[in-house]
Amino acid sequence: MGDYMVKDVFPILSREVNGHRLVYLDNAATTQKPQVVIDAMAEFYSTSNANVHRAVHTLAGEATEGYEACRITLKSMYNAPRAIITSGTTEAINLVAHAWGRANLSKGDVVVLTEMEHHSDIVPWQMLCDSIDIELRYVPVQDGELDMDAFAVALEGASLVCVVHTSNVLGVRNPVEKVISMAQENGIRVLLDAAQAVPHETINFLELGADFMAFSAHKMCGPTGIGALLVNEETFAEMEPFMGGGDMIETVTLEGSTYQSNEHRFEAGTPRIAEAVGWNAALNWLGEQDLSSHHKRMLSAARSVSDALKERGITVYSRLGDSDAAVVSFNHPTIHPEDFARLLDAQGIAVRTGHHCAQPLMARLGITGTIRASFYLYNDQNDADALIAGVDKVLEAMA
Amino acid sequence: MNWSPAIQGLIEEFQEIESQFEKLETLMDFADELVPLPVEDWNESNLVRGCQSIAHIEVELANDEVILKSAADARMVEGLQGILTIAVNGNSPDTVLELTPDFAEEMGLLNTLTPSRSNGFRTMFDMIQNRVKELK
Repeated sequence: MGDYMVKDVFPILSREVNGHRLVYLDNAATTQKPQVVIDAMAEFYSTSNANVHRAVHTLAGEATEGYEACRITLKSMYNAPRAIITSGTTEAINLVAHAWGRANLSKGDVVVLTEMEHHSDIVPWQMLCDSIDIELRYVPVQDGELDMDAFAVALEGASLVCVVHTSNVLGVRNPVEKVISMAQENGIRVLLDAAQAVPHETINFLELGADFMAFSAHKMCGPTGIGALLVNEETFAEMEPFMGGGDMIETVTLEGSTYQSNEHRFEAGTPRIAEAVGWNAALNWLGEQDLSSHHKRMLSAARSVSDALKERGITVYSRLGDSDAAVVSFNHPTIHPEDFARLLDAQGIAVRTGHHCAQPLMARLGITGTIRASFYLYNDQNDADALIAGVDKVLEAMA
Repeated sequence: MNWSPAIQGLIEEFQEIESQFEKLETLMDFADELVPLPVEDWNESNLVRGCQSIAHIEVELANDEVILKSAADARMVEGLQGILTIAVNGNSPDTVLELTPDFAEEMGLLNTLTPSRSNGFRTMFDMIQNRVKELK
């Protein structure tokens, strides 16, 4: 499928912003949705809306089938024995902290994190630390990369390693294969934050060897409000339900309850049914894409932006190696990032500013925030050129 | 509301601009209007809270006239401070207390701002009136 055909199936990309063609480069925050996803959700609400899992009527059956189809696709696409459907990456990581952490960690046990983590992979562990007094060790970042020597030291006596696969700030793809291998040699469980990874590569979960993998639908053309935690069988058996309610039980008496044995034991309450239907459509659509080819094009476009910014005296923090995501984080020496981004928006160009929910990484870089242009599979060189032209206009206005 | 000639001038100047980019350029031009608050006078009490940029405003009274001094690390926030300077400086405390922030809406200024900057504008406006009340 050619570039223009990809763009054509994203209706939002045909709109104008402030009188200009929309150039959407905030994909690390959320991606746009192809027509098939929009149609799938509208179709579900128009024809099959019902609650799932118990009622015997036709609509309930269709809704259950639609919801569970998403789980089947997740398991098949990522080669995962278990796929717990959550509200997103954040809830998935909190689920690990509560359902696995509380059942398997106690005072003094060590959890290894990195300075590159998103807040969603730091705060749940700090909260658990406050609650059961575990020890947190942070692997430092040197020159935008994980310090693997320090990582090896931090592993000593650890119970769990939590690591971001691909940085949402820098686009850096961490050496997760090596991280997992080192952890496995020491019998340490691994949680992979793959929120920025799965939009760009289809990960074979079992082959990679992590114990948990968390990600969100909305960063890969799916709806907001839904994500997943993939778990291997051995680790799944170590997890205890922490959120109680409907749908996760087997029996309830006034004396106590027993719980479902499958993923439902971690999905209390009415789940995100239409979102699951939409995500399934997105997964199937992505499955038809040549992600590797898209990645090369995106990276080429991002590199042209990075080069142009550097030529204009702008600091670029992204490495943009062959396996990195096409994310360009940058700062101008004197123009405030918010002013810069607002002036780009006035030209129809959407980028992100701020700390990107990664304040420890910002502290390591010695800054408070960046301007971030993040590419996805509908972005091409035309978008990169529009951004460069937009930057030039900002520089001219601020001269 | 009948606006002062200075504010009416602001409204008319801004309303004439159609392009969003030019509106932002004009907003930044207003930064030249602010009376600078020296960095040594920046403190917790004159810090504009909830603003994503670093911004400070201080109000003084001299000969029964309001003087707004301000500073920020972002040109657009300085522009907002410049607009507030035009709106309040040289006016009596009573005139400033009678002022409403609706003139910014009438200018079409708030539409050009992000929600956080729009809130920052309101916060600065409220800080000015509260300080004038204290000084009066």
